[in-house]
Amino acid sequence: MRSRPRVALWIDNASQTSAMALLVLVCAFLVIPLLIIAIMSFDARTYLGRFPPPNFTFQWYLRLFSSDYFLKGFKYSVLIALAATLVSTAIGVSAALAISRSSRAAREMMTSIFLSPLVVPGVVVGVALLLFYSELGIGSRLLRLVGAHVLITFPYALRTALASISAIPRSMSEAAHNLGANDRQTFMTITLPLARTGIAAGAIFAFAFSFDDVAVSLFLSDADTYTLPVALINIMYANLDLTIAAAAMLQVIFVIAITFVLDKLVGVEEVVGPHLN
Amino acid sequence: MRGQILLLAPVCAVLLGLLVFPVLILVDESFREFTPGFIGARPHAAYTLENYAALLDPAYRFYFIETFWLGLLTSCLALVCAYPIAYRIARSPIAFERRALVMLLVVMIFLGTLVRVYAVLLALGPAGFGSAIVAILDTTLNGIFYTELTVIAGLLHFTIPIAALALLGSIQSINPRLSDAAQALGANRTISFVTVTLPLSAPGLLSAFMLCYTFCISAFVVPMILGKGRVQFASNLIYSRFGEVGNYPGGSAISVVMLVLSIGLLYLITRFINRWMTSL
Repeated sequence: MRSRPRVALWIDNASQTSAMALLVLVCAFLVIPLLIIAIMSFDARTYLGRFPPPNFTFQWYLRLFSSDYFLKGFKYSVLIALAATLVSTAIGVSAALAISRSSRAAREMMTSIFLSPLVVPGVVVGVALLLFYSELGIGSRLLRLVGAHVLITFPYALRTALASISAIPRSMSEAAHNLGANDRQTFMTITLPLARTGIAAGAIFAFAFSFDDVAVSLFLSDADTYTLPVALINIMYANLDLTIAAAAMLQVIFVIAITFVLDKLVGVEEVVGPHLN
Repeated sequence: MRGQILLLAPVCAVLLGLLVFPVLILVDESFREFTPGFIGARPHAAYTLENYAALLDPAYRFYFIETFWLGLLTSCLALVCAYPIAYRIARSPIAFERRALVMLLVVMIFLGTLVRVYAVLLALGPAGFGSAIVAILDTTLNGIFYTELTVIAGLLHFTIPIAALALLGSIQSINPRLSDAAQALGANRTISFVTVTLPLSAPGLLSAFMLCYTFCISAFVVPMILGKGRVQFASNLIYSRFGEVGNYPGGSAISVVMLVLSIGLLYLITRFINRWMTSL
């Protein structure tokens, strides 16, 4: 009889310890591959050798910045992501305004319809748009890519904008109306300032997802007009060297910097909150 | 009311013009006859069911089974791996630890797809720990088993942060006093976790699962780079139909099947979950 609590205590301690061990293992699994490419990107060998590298140089970074192919992809990616973010945010905010004023039932239906691009696999969006554009005869690759990126990014802008607009008490805009403000004035002076953080977070998500898209862009790019991820995939297939590791490192630094800035501006919990719920 | 319609006009235009209409063209193309040697169906090609009949071939079934099965396996593993992180963030008394873990997850989410796929490729390849892992598991670097393992690892690298962030909210909303009460009444930490916290986080687990599963079944880059042509998902099959063979009607048929299967599956899972939740 006396040994029972002891066994239970042992099981309890063992399961607590293994949960802790799993946590450490998972974090290691997430971080170690990134550390490896960080170190490998400074490899002084001219071929892809075994980790760890014996000596260090900046050769891969120099090679990356002397590659016109890479720089062009970067330029187009920034251009396309900026255009798509602008359009997506405008579309998302206006739709979110309309949805937030609707009845509960209509609101649920509209949200699930407007968020539906999220459940369509990227490759399917890519092929459907490829067929559609050639049927319609839209020749400009840039226009093709921007259209596609608006489609895949506006749900993110809509979702975060809706979350922050819905959080504003209705009495606020009613008060503005009662005091004689019209719809536009109410939006500019009440809704927009209060929902600013959410709208900005949505725009950041839209930009990030546009900048990162591979599946859709791969179908709509050609030899002259391509995005950065498409360029990276082609470099990855063409040669097994470490220029990609250098490109990856630059992105890691950029993302960490952005995350710190976001954290200082709005708090990191703000950024993750509305996106996921 | 007129204002509502005006506000909804842009989103409807984008949805109809860039999603609904293109998908209708895709469906139309999938019923067209394919002439080998041409890129895409010829104008006014005859309608046929052949593209769909070809999918009944067992070789095609394999791709779909691989996609849905590896996706299921990965999503379940991701939930198990993500739960301790989310729980730690929600419950740790140390502020620094909470912030560091949230930062890690956010950085992971924002990191580019290719950066992470490349990192996994290098870490698990012959230049990284590949040879050592292969020696322990008694298999070969180029075998199907190790390739599948690499693909699963790649998918996990994406789904664990997604799942952890999705779980975080629902674990945070559970009142910690409930498990304090269970422990005051004699349950130990493990029993109070299994009987109180875990059941209460069921909604979060389900939505995390859905996010992971949608990610996995439409995964494209991960199997493309890490599968090395030996492990391919339905997305990769579509890409090779369009890109390499120029068989647009065949590729369209696979796309339509994939679209119907993935949306149907998600719908069934949601319905099943809703019924199960209301029966509790």
